[in-house]
Amino acid sequence: MMNRYRKRGGFFNLKQHFFMGLFLCFSIASFGQKLKVSGIVTDATVGGSIPGVSVIIKSSNLGTTTDLDGKYQIEVNQNDVLVFSYMGYQKAEMVAKSGTINISLVEDTQKLDEVVVIGYGSTKIKDATGSVTSVTSKDFNKGNIVTPENLLAGRVAGLSITTGGEPGSGSTIRIRGGASLGASNDPLIVINGLPVDNNTIGGSRSILSSINPNDIESFSVLKDASATAIYGSRASNGVIIITLKKGTKTFSATLDMNMSVSTLANKVDVFSGDQLRNLISERNPSLLLLLGTANTDWQKEIYRNSVSSNINVSANGMLFDKIPSRVSFGRTLQNGLLLTSEFERNTGSVSINPSLFDDHLKISVNANASLEKNRFAKGVQGVALTFDPTQPVYDANSPFGGYFQYYKDNNDGIINKSDLTERAPLNPVAELLQRNDRSEVKRIYGNVKLDYKLHFFPELSAVLNVGMDKNSADGFSIVSDKNPLSQADGRIIGSYSEYTNDQSNYLLDGYLAYKKEFGILNLDATAGYSYQKFTDERYKSNELLDDGVDSAPVLSINPDLVLIGFFGRTNLSFYDKYLFTFSYRRDGTSRFSNANRWGNFPAAAFAWKIKEDLFSESKSLSNLKLRLGWGVTGQQDIGQANLDLYMSRYTKGLPTSQYIFGNTVTTIAIPQFRNEDLKWEETTTYNAGLDFGFFNDRLTATVEGFYKESKDLLANAAISDGSNFSNSGFQNIGDFTSKGIEFSIGADIFKNQKGFNWNANFNSTFIKTKINSLALGQDQLVGGIGNGAGSTTQIHRVGYTPYSFYVYKQIYNENGKPIEGAYADLNGDNIINDADLYIHHNGMPTVTMGFASNMNYKNIDLSFNMRASLGNYVYNAANSSRAQYNLLKNSSVVSNLPTSVLDTNFQSNEAVLLSDYYIENASFLKMDNVSIGYTFEDIFNARSSIRLSASVQNVFTITKYSGLDPEVFENGIDNSITPRPRTFLVGANMKF
Amino acid sequence: MKNIIKQKVIYIVGLVLLVVGCTNDLDVTVKDPNALLVDDFYSTPESYKEGLAGVYGNLALTGASGAGSSNISGLDAGTSQYGRSFWNLQELTTDEVKWSWENDPGLKGLNNNTWTSDNVVIRGFFGRCMTQVAFVNEYLRQTTDAKLDSRGVSAELRAEIKTYRAEVRFLRALAYYHLMDLFGKAGFVTENDPVGAYQSPQYDRSQLFAFVESELEAILPDLKDARQNEYARADKAAAWMVLAKIYLNAEVFIGQNKYDQCLTYCKNIIDAGFTLSPVYANNFNADNDSNSAKTEIIFPIVSDGVVTQNYGPTTVMVNAQVGSLEQNGADFGVAGWAGGLRVTKQFSETMLNGNYDNDDRNTIISKDRTIEMTSMDNYGTGYITAKWSNKTSKGVNGSATEIVDTDFPMFRLADVYLMYAEAVLRGASGGSLVTAKDYINLLRSRANNTKFITVSDLNLDLILNERMVELYGEAHRRQDLIRFGKFTGGTYNWSWKGSTVSGIGISDIYKVFPIPRASIAANPNLKQNTGY
Repeated sequence: MMNRYRKRGGFFNLKQHFFMGLFLCFSIASFGQKLKVSGIVTDATVGGSIPGVSVIIKSSNLGTTTDLDGKYQIEVNQNDVLVFSYMGYQKAEMVAKSGTINISLVEDTQKLDEVVVIGYGSTKIKDATGSVTSVTSKDFNKGNIVTPENLLAGRVAGLSITTGGEPGSGSTIRIRGGASLGASNDPLIVINGLPVDNNTIGGSRSILSSINPNDIESFSVLKDASATAIYGSRASNGVIIITLKKGTKTFSATLDMNMSVSTLANKVDVFSGDQLRNLISERNPSLLLLLGTANTDWQKEIYRNSVSSNINVSANGMLFDKIPSRVSFGRTLQNGLLLTSEFERNTGSVSINPSLFDDHLKISVNANASLEKNRFAKGVQGVALTFDPTQPVYDANSPFGGYFQYYKDNNDGIINKSDLTERAPLNPVAELLQRNDRSEVKRIYGNVKLDYKLHFFPELSAVLNVGMDKNSADGFSIVSDKNPLSQADGRIIGSYSEYTNDQSNYLLDGYLAYKKEFGILNLDATAGYSYQKFTDERYKSNELLDDGVDSAPVLSINPDLVLIGFFGRTNLSFYDKYLFTFSYRRDGTSRFSNANRWGNFPAAAFAWKIKEDLFSESKSLSNLKLRLGWGVTGQQDIGQANLDLYMSRYTKGLPTSQYIFGNTVTTIAIPQFRNEDLKWEETTTYNAGLDFGFFNDRLTATVEGFYKESKDLLANAAISDGSNFSNSGFQNIGDFTSKGIEFSIGADIFKNQKGFNWNANFNSTFIKTKINSLALGQDQLVGGIGNGAGSTTQIHRVGYTPYSFYVYKQIYNENGKPIEGAYADLNGDNIINDADLYIHHNGMPTVTMGFASNMNYKNIDLSFNMRASLGNYVYNAANSSRAQYNLLKNSSVVSNLPTSVLDTNFQSNEAVLLSDYYIENASFLKMDNVSIGYTFEDIFNARSSIRLSASVQNVFTITKYSGLDPEVFENGIDNSITPRPRTFLVGANMKF
Repeated sequence: MKNIIKQKVIYIVGLVLLVVGCTNDLDVTVKDPNALLVDDFYSTPESYKEGLAGVYGNLALTGASGAGSSNISGLDAGTSQYGRSFWNLQELTTDEVKWSWENDPGLKGLNNNTWTSDNVVIRGFFGRCMTQVAFVNEYLRQTTDAKLDSRGVSAELRAEIKTYRAEVRFLRALAYYHLMDLFGKAGFVTENDPVGAYQSPQYDRSQLFAFVESELEAILPDLKDARQNEYARADKAAAWMVLAKIYLNAEVFIGQNKYDQCLTYCKNIIDAGFTLSPVYANNFNADNDSNSAKTEIIFPIVSDGVVTQNYGPTTVMVNAQVGSLEQNGADFGVAGWAGGLRVTKQFSETMLNGNYDNDDRNTIISKDRTIEMTSMDNYGTGYITAKWSNKTSKGVNGSATEIVDTDFPMFRLADVYLMYAEAVLRGASGGSLVTAKDYINLLRSRANNTKFITVSDLNLDLILNERMVELYGEAHRRQDLIRFGKFTGGTYNWSWKGSTVSGIGISDIYKVFPIPRASIAANPNLKQNTGY
């Protein structure tokens, strides 16, 4: 494993490629005896100059680009032809002559010729029938982007991305809100044709954290079933196709660097040491004896300003003058706000794209290696809120490494658990600094794609794509023997444990594609086969400093997951106005029994190019297209622990779970829940969209509506008692609908008028989801909160949005203050019990919006992104679980409280935990990023430039929510209190 | 050139055809070292005892991978433990003890007698008992003669398996006895029914009574003689005990007087050679599986801080009896949870009525406390007790500092003595009041209480008090109060009964718990109990 890894991503290869690139660079400069040509390129209609136009000598890979004033200069041979091209304009060619060649480019109304990647192929945007949004590298979000998904946060209607505050943190990604209750709602992510495992390997931050955003060329977000159904069983939650950058023919190299400082943007308001002393003298003077004399801000103590850096180099060009290649190397160091939180990522990527046999065989090889190193900080954010602020961080007399801890030495000569104050919290700073919890995750992934256009039948091509993704993680956790952590027998000796995890994913796709024009009919058909296999194995050593049976190591291996599919798709275009797409996939999964494992997933779509049909003469209207789609998709992902539910299995008890007969410890074996009838969850989606373009598509807009119906939902629900080896388990129950409207608009507001450009786009999504039926109408309690053993605050109930809050209705006094423990007796039986709980809002926003703006004036550019979410509610668990006066005394020590307790004067946590008082409107407007840059041209040669930039990430949040951050995970329960940093970044991007 | 291309095409097409043949790969198998397909598991001789341990284990363990794992959904893993959820329902609903942490789901409803069919503890116990039934049925299916024949099991082992089968049937009868007592009905599932989502028919209380009675009678010949089996495995005495219990409560269960039968089985047990531990506290200590209590305990639920980790009733009682003011966990060999359990004013008044001032069974700690639990979240109100311990009889701490080594004595001889006395008082023939009085005095004397009673002192109120003093915290109280007519209605109220501090009357519907709403939804053959 190690060897293979080094070989693939090793530095040697990289260096070799890099020098190859440099060599290519010099070879370009060494041509001599040429004509000198210069000129200016302008817009034929508006007249302004166009910067960035590529000027290439035809049939070569030599060329330059125009500068910010639209000027270029190039040396050519006699009779060379210059080709001027720029995205959005028609190409122009001109035979070179010495002197000046000025040229005006005509805007290309065929902007929609841009190709968008779809499942098992690609299509032109203008011919797309499904709901597909493509975001390419030129439109990516700027600023401090650590994980790939943040390149498109807020950019696509219907796509929501919520990222945590930890460095390299993963995101919750939802397309149109997801389609499941009990199964996964994560979209399928496909990298260069390889669908990746949605399960994060233990030791890694997330499934995408080991991928370098700089290696990504484009994202295609497939939203409706007519686009996704080709992925059949895994397509219900939408698909995100990531295409990595490929090798190109022309030489270029980039060097990007940035450094950033992350700061704490917001803290939870708790009492200071002095305030707490006053509060306790007023309310509970008996506790004064327990207080110390310090004034410690524990939140300040556990967080820091952290410095991070990022460097990426890449080189593109012809290897051996024949093979378009790209090589890149990236290194990211991110330090978290929490004292010991670290994330490091080293990536190497090689892509070669040779064509053989007169371009009949296109080979594309992409190999990536990454080494992700983490240090995980213990989650002490909660303890820092409640730890007594009158106690110091350090205590010179403490036997616990000089950190303050609650203890009382019983003078038996040894410090062990009996010297600790029972149930006292542990110093959060010591918890961070006395623990070393690290992991290394090695990942290699990539694919080899052979695309062969048959010589004897060129309309037909055969494509073979073989992919692999292997992750292996090693981690350990060391706790200092000066930490109060004790073993089961009470000894304080520190702790040491290790783990390893291995996941792999292999893919083989083979398909045939046929393209031909028959007069008015354009036919494009694809049919193929897909095989994919996932494996997963984990080992954890458990406590190595204790040899008791309860710390015996555990090896767990999940059954393989094998997915096999047969698929086909036909695109028919009549008169280039009426487009039809039919697709079909038959998918099998090893997750279900022989009788249920195959599912069929058809889809159909129709698009009508109305503009071409009815408004072909219109000058202002450049595009009007209607799209209608229908399709059935499936879902089978109910987690790695549920791969074998149809088998008759027995599980043996771990060493801690045995029974004792007489004096003999006897291993137990118990039968496991079994459901031989499990089958696919199915979602039927209807989609209708209208695409508009005006003024040569300078203004484009899309309005889209969808309706999704999921049936046979896979959910863990109650099962007839006594019939199975549990009282609940996975079954196909219930159905669920969601509907929504998406709207997006993009415009080049100013284009090249005196060097000023401004383009902006805005998107907005309205989604409403509703549960239509659950097994026999039974409610499911969900949404665990930290307090109480298994407390929940949410419910799935027929007729309501999933994860609706399920709470008591708070009664208020005449001053508008909540009366503690007083709730409305909603069923009027004079008893307040769980029959009086009611449904009160939910965590889903009614509307989400995204806005991105890019401006430049000559060499200066300015861009920003904003996101808004309206109508989303949050259960403030940070307050509900902490802000009550009784909690001032936490067994034998004093606890701090959020100052919000002053608003409620609540005494008892038990009495108020399920009050609707804690459900708050968490609508927000956020500016994710603002960046400003300046580009220096012609540094080494006409093609080289340096852009210096400065940006701020997480600029501001406008909200009425009283907690730390209104953007929360877990369907609206604010359990997590890891703050998102505000980051200030400076960077340089160099192009050669 | 062409040839090469042709070869490539053949290669590609060939490869495609090859993988098409790979749909067999969809037949995956288990790989985990701890997971086995059923026939692989039962391929070794020791598997039959491991399977037996799995069924017994369901009394103590919530799952196969540690105290935090559970094969029951809808509630916290620890709370789903068989003994723990049984204990919660039998104790917290009564005049003995209350649970301070009312934000633990379901517990407040039990404390206050305001539970509903959504109560997660109720759902947990119903599900746990019915899962026990499913485990038993599976064990019986896997040990039929046909199965044993096909696996070539030796004659010697088959003889043992015969006993194992009787024991798991005992455990199924025990589960149905608990369901009959607490819910008054249940879905009736046997080994002849399919595994999956089978919607079993509902058995009402009298059907369950008849089943438990006949099933226990049927297995008695196959069970080992009293005190002849390994510790923690059921013998004839355990079956007699359940029979004695159903007969003692027969008036409640089926409206019939069966005290004669109750007495018969009590005498069977007493005559089988069980003896009281000379030290009362030994029954509740970390080594109650090996100290003198071994001769008193008829049937326990095992707990061990290392190999049988669970948050069962003994771990809960030892840790939660620790006082918030006293911080006295070290006295019991645990760090303790401090403040979880406090007793009602009525419990304290009985303990302090003068008869038990010098009595080992009176473990009340009252210093700096009020006798009434005026506030559930003020842990300093209400007295606490110190009956249970994770120290051994020799004062050594148990093997861990939270999960205790103390086994839960589900049935023990002292209970039989009191049942004998009660049956006689309620008119059973074949016993004597003098013996009844002697048994009660034996218990007092064992507890070093010198206040002996005479025959004329014997009455039902005394029995009920004596049962509380002797058996406090052993999950008998709700059944006892119902049998004595004091659980529902307003003739006898206690702290927080009906959700007021001093207690108010509650409706008769609360004599049985509701069938969990989720269980009715999953099996519509179950009909909800009246009033819920």
